Amino acid sequence: MAGTGPRGRAERRNAGELESEVLAALWATDRALTPAEVQAEIGGGLAYNTVHTILKRLYDKGLTVRDADGRRGAYRPAKNAAELTAEAMHKALDQGPDPIAALQQFVTGLNPEEERALRDLLGGER
Amino acid sequence: MRVDVYTPFLLSMLLAAVSPRVGRRVAPALAARVLAGAALVTAAATAWSLLLLAATLVSAAPPVVTDAREDGRPLPEPVPEAVAFAACALLLFMAHRFFRAARSEYLTRRALRLLCEGHPPDTELIVAASPIPKAFAIPGRAGSPGRILVTSAMLGALSAEERRVLLSHERAHLHHRHGRLCTAVILAGAVNPFLVPVRRTVVFLVERWADERAAAVVGDRACTARALARAALTAGCQEPSHGLGFTDRAVTRRIAALQTAPPPRLWGLAATVLALGALTALGTADATGDLVRLLAPILA
Repeated sequence: MAGTGPRGRAERRNAGELESEVLAALWATDRALTPAEVQAEIGGGLAYNTVHTILKRLYDKGLTVRDADGRRGAYRPAKNAAELTAEAMHKALDQGPDPIAALQQFVTGLNPEEERALRDLLGGER
Repeated sequence: MRVDVYTPFLLSMLLAAVSPRVGRRVAPALAARVLAGAALVTAAATAWSLLLLAATLVSAAPPVVTDAREDGRPLPEPVPEAVAFAACALLLFMAHRFFRAARSEYLTRRALRLLCEGHPPDTELIVAASPIPKAFAIPGRAGSPGRILVTSAMLGALSAEERRVLLSHERAHLHHRHGRLCTAVILAGAVNPFLVPVRRTVVFLVERWADERAAAVVGDRACTARALARAALTAGCQEPSHGLGFTDRAVTRRIAALQTAPPPRLWGLAATVLALGALTALGTADATGDLVRLLAPILA
């Protein structure tokens, strides 16, 4: 995974960065995740205790909730703030080209030829 | 004065001509910094030169002309009057472009800050529960490190390692204050439209810079390239209007760059760019001296 390997050495992550990664992992799936599952998902040789501490901290900040109907100790991301942000973002996007469209995005649009080339790069998967 | 005063215009065209080449060959972090620095100096020098040209009109002002006639002194006319009037018009045009660009930058920042509301202040990642795949960095104000906004659709499309690339990329934007660099070149391009190609190059280089940082953090260039490809395909599916052959191929070029070795820090080429910027400043300084010498006797 993201640890050391023949391809080069990955850099160490600090607490704030790990928090972002754990939160991102929880959002990336529809299921609630236990600390062990989060640990397996983000890899990089993280100790179980570290993952547990991060999940606890996210919970204290109100960014995660404990899975109500599911398994003990599993977490889901909290929706409220994220939905408010989405609403604000959609509003800003609808306002026209000014505020967010002018912004540097991680990626920009593709033409059909580029799209084919990128699919090839990903090995034909969708 | 007759020649010097025009150097910023000539050199800004030259800077625009070399910027894509510099962008392709020099390490992005170095290239972005020197191009932005040179563009800033050149933009300031251009504005100052126009101001000098406009100031020559002083020698055509009625009281000055009457005085000179009474004393029997010849009137200095360093540049034709038509040029001076054109400079005035250009100055107004530039000021208009500058304020429009500055306002749009301000509105963007304000819109971005609104997105952070309701999230605890000490978290880096802000997730928007949105079906539109998007990711961007929100620069912080003085002292604060800034935030990373990613939508749930984008997070769901990427693997764990790819998410790490995305986060590292946006983190690099924040850490190296790319927002400021971009604002600087946007304003420079607004003041001097000849510098627009430099702006485009720097905006692209800033992305390349963040890609290189992400590749270093994750320790895997191929994975970084895959993350970009997956994110671009995810975003592309959502916005069919963007897919009609009208793109700047930025993502494709970034991926291609990740599939080769990182470009070297060519200090020679970087120094040339800085020298171009310095030359515009020198030319304008010289022209200023000349104008002061010409006008001093008639204004005394």
